[in-house]
Amino acid sequence: MEGKKLNGNESVVRLENLKKSFEINGEDVQIINGINLDIKKNEFIVLFGAGQCGKTTLLKMIAGLEDITDGNIYINDKKSSGFNEDVGMVYQTTALFPWLSVMGNVEFGPKHRGAAKSERRKKAQYYIDLVGLSGFEKHFPVQLSGGMQQRVGIARAYANDPEIILMDEPFGHLDAQTRYLMEEDVEKIWAREKRTVIFVTNNIEEALYLADRIIILTECPATVMKEYVIDLPRPRSMVSEEFLRLREEISRLADARESEAG
Amino acid sequence: MTKKEKRERKKYLLISVISFAAFILIWECVTEIFGLIPPKKLPSPRTIVNVFLYKLSNTNPDGSVLTAHILTSLKESVLGFIIGVGLGVPLGICMAWFEKFDLFFKPLFDLIKPIPPVGWVPIMLMLFGLSIWSKVTVIAIASIVPAIINSYSGIKQMNPVHKWVAQTFGASDRQILFTVAIPTAGPMIFAGIEVALNASWVTLVAAELVAATQGLGYMIQTSRMVGRIDIVFMGVLVIGAFGALFTWLLGMLRRKLVKGGR
Amino acid sequence: MKFKLSGKSIQAVVLGTLGILSFFIIWQLTCIFTKFGTIFPTPPEVAAGMIRGFIEPIGSVTLLGHIGISLGRVLVGYTLSSVLGTLVGLLMGASRLGKAILYPIFNIIKPIPGIAWIPIAIMWLGIGNATIYFIIFVGGFSQMVMNVMSGASNVDQELVGVARVLGLKKNHVFLTIILPSCVPYIFTGLQVSLSTSWMAVLAAEMITATSGCGWLILAGMQSGIMLNNVLGMIAIGFIGLVLATLMRMLERRLCSWKERN
Repeated sequence: MEGKKLNGNESVVRLENLKKSFEINGEDVQIINGINLDIKKNEFIVLFGAGQCGKTTLLKMIAGLEDITDGNIYINDKKSSGFNEDVGMVYQTTALFPWLSVMGNVEFGPKHRGAAKSERRKKAQYYIDLVGLSGFEKHFPVQLSGGMQQRVGIARAYANDPEIILMDEPFGHLDAQTRYLMEEDVEKIWAREKRTVIFVTNNIEEALYLADRIIILTECPATVMKEYVIDLPRPRSMVSEEFLRLREEISRLADARESEAG
Repeated sequence: MTKKEKRERKKYLLISVISFAAFILIWECVTEIFGLIPPKKLPSPRTIVNVFLYKLSNTNPDGSVLTAHILTSLKESVLGFIIGVGLGVPLGICMAWFEKFDLFFKPLFDLIKPIPPVGWVPIMLMLFGLSIWSKVTVIAIASIVPAIINSYSGIKQMNPVHKWVAQTFGASDRQILFTVAIPTAGPMIFAGIEVALNASWVTLVAAELVAATQGLGYMIQTSRMVGRIDIVFMGVLVIGAFGALFTWLLGMLRRKLVKGGR
Repeated sequence: MKFKLSGKSIQAVVLGTLGILSFFIIWQLTCIFTKFGTIFPTPPEVAAGMIRGFIEPIGSVTLLGHIGISLGRVLVGYTLSSVLGTLVGLLMGASRLGKAILYPIFNIIKPIPGIAWIPIAIMWLGIGNATIYFIIFVGGFSQMVMNVMSGASNVDQELVGVARVLGLKKNHVFLTIILPSCVPYIFTGLQVSLSTSWMAVLAAEMITATSGCGWLILAGMQSGIMLNNVLGMIAIGFIGLVLATLMRMLERRLCSWKERN
């Protein structure tokens, strides 16, 4: 065991010089170039970057959906390769199983991990209620609005009881009003259920509203550019002086990077 | 495409080639070489090729050489197809565009539509005798149905936004029909034409089996009666080859014509 | 608003009836004024013949009997082609190796219309029910395979990943993800192949049977009793319509997850 336990602040996810490249038209294109990151238990981490490069791939690597080109991922101090039952994911598009009802989707994980019917029903019901979808258990995804579908996605990830939940721009396709409500709810659920969350976004307000720590990534290939620890009290006000100051600072950073790249 | 993917493709292509060769080889073995299946039941691939060459210049046992049968079949099916599509597409468009026309024809069309085209053979035979027109009319009926259905639903599915845009530019109803509705229905109409061509070839074979004096269907039916299974097999393969050729030609044409996809 | 709507539906009924009526009137007039009428029955004669056909046998059985015989034959061939076509389609769609092996051979069979197999089937199986089953089977089979194959190869790979992240074992992916994704495609295949089967039974019966709707149509012509021919057509059209409607209802039930309320 090479675990470093710091007063119950043990590292849950550790990325060690992580690299990823894809072969495009016979050429290797580097997407992620050496990311080191240590994520503590129950931390809310936001990966922030305006570009299209690397963030989703990074999450997919942690989830086991993409191969690792080089470097290591440790989950609970165990080297991770492939799928891991401690990791759950909420996707950019809703990615619900269209032929399953809301209940069927939420209980999917427990069911295929062998939970008894009454037990998994109870658990699924708990999370369906938690995301505010009571009464919609028998609806099919196509009958729900985009925001509701994403709520199902969140409930599905939580119901599987993973320690780590990856959220890949889950609200990117929602309108501003729904998005704001969803951010509030995600924070409430996290405050109540805890779990380690790694959240990808390209929206500064969203990042500042949710994060314990914001990791700012560079444009292609992605590396860690800067890190901000956000210790504003929760729930946060989006118009507090400190919030606005950080917002200003981070967006200036992103602008500078963009003009550099352009 | 990645190198790995290219390698995989090569591998599966090779498997396909081997599989196909093995199929022909086994066929040859069980018939000609080991004689497990008597030639009365299954001719060997070699016999089929030989009889194909033989029929190119010999009129036995059905009175015409192969090319004459092919030409008759092509003439009947293409003529019937052109009549069917030529009537069906405008009719479908009119039904979709003029409400009264729709109300008048739709119930009648629904009544006639479910009768399989082959069912019309005896009536047409009574009207036109053994001439090609008994086949041409049946094929026209076979291709008119998909032509009507597809052009009808193609026009009906026009995006109303496009119509409104055209209206705000002051386009008349007629202009909207020709500049917006018909072009948007294009892919759908084309799909209908593909179905129609397919249907016309199938119907042709059926009609010729029942009543003809020349044509591929007639050839295989007559050869069957005199016990020439080699000619039957060859004829069936030629029918299949022309079916495949039609599908391929229309696929090429579609890629040329339908730009912007659906 | 409500009044206007009912006005519209009255118009629909009136125009629709007019359309069908004019068809029958033209038919009637053609029979009266041309020599077509000497061999071909008029609409009232057909109506009378239909009622008689339900009571008195035409050939060996009554009209209802012929319908039952045709339906029974379709049922056998169609069930066979649906089951086997689905299996082969799944195999070719879900496994790259399966496709590499089977697709070239399938490609020879695919473009051959089921009906073209009639002479071969007769030479193999003789004249009788086996031949008819075979024809119905080959007609539906390729269509079933094509549809199921495209369904199985178009499975959303992201959903497979989602399921795996949620803990689905690799060898359960087929039953849990691929199969349900294919259900709409299977239904499209079932519908298309049902109408092909119905056409195939007609053609096969016209050539090799002594009963059934197809036989009615052809025997009607050969014996010069065109009434039987028309009755056969009506029967086959009507049953075709009923089957298609039943299929659509079943699809709506089983694929309700695809539709928005």
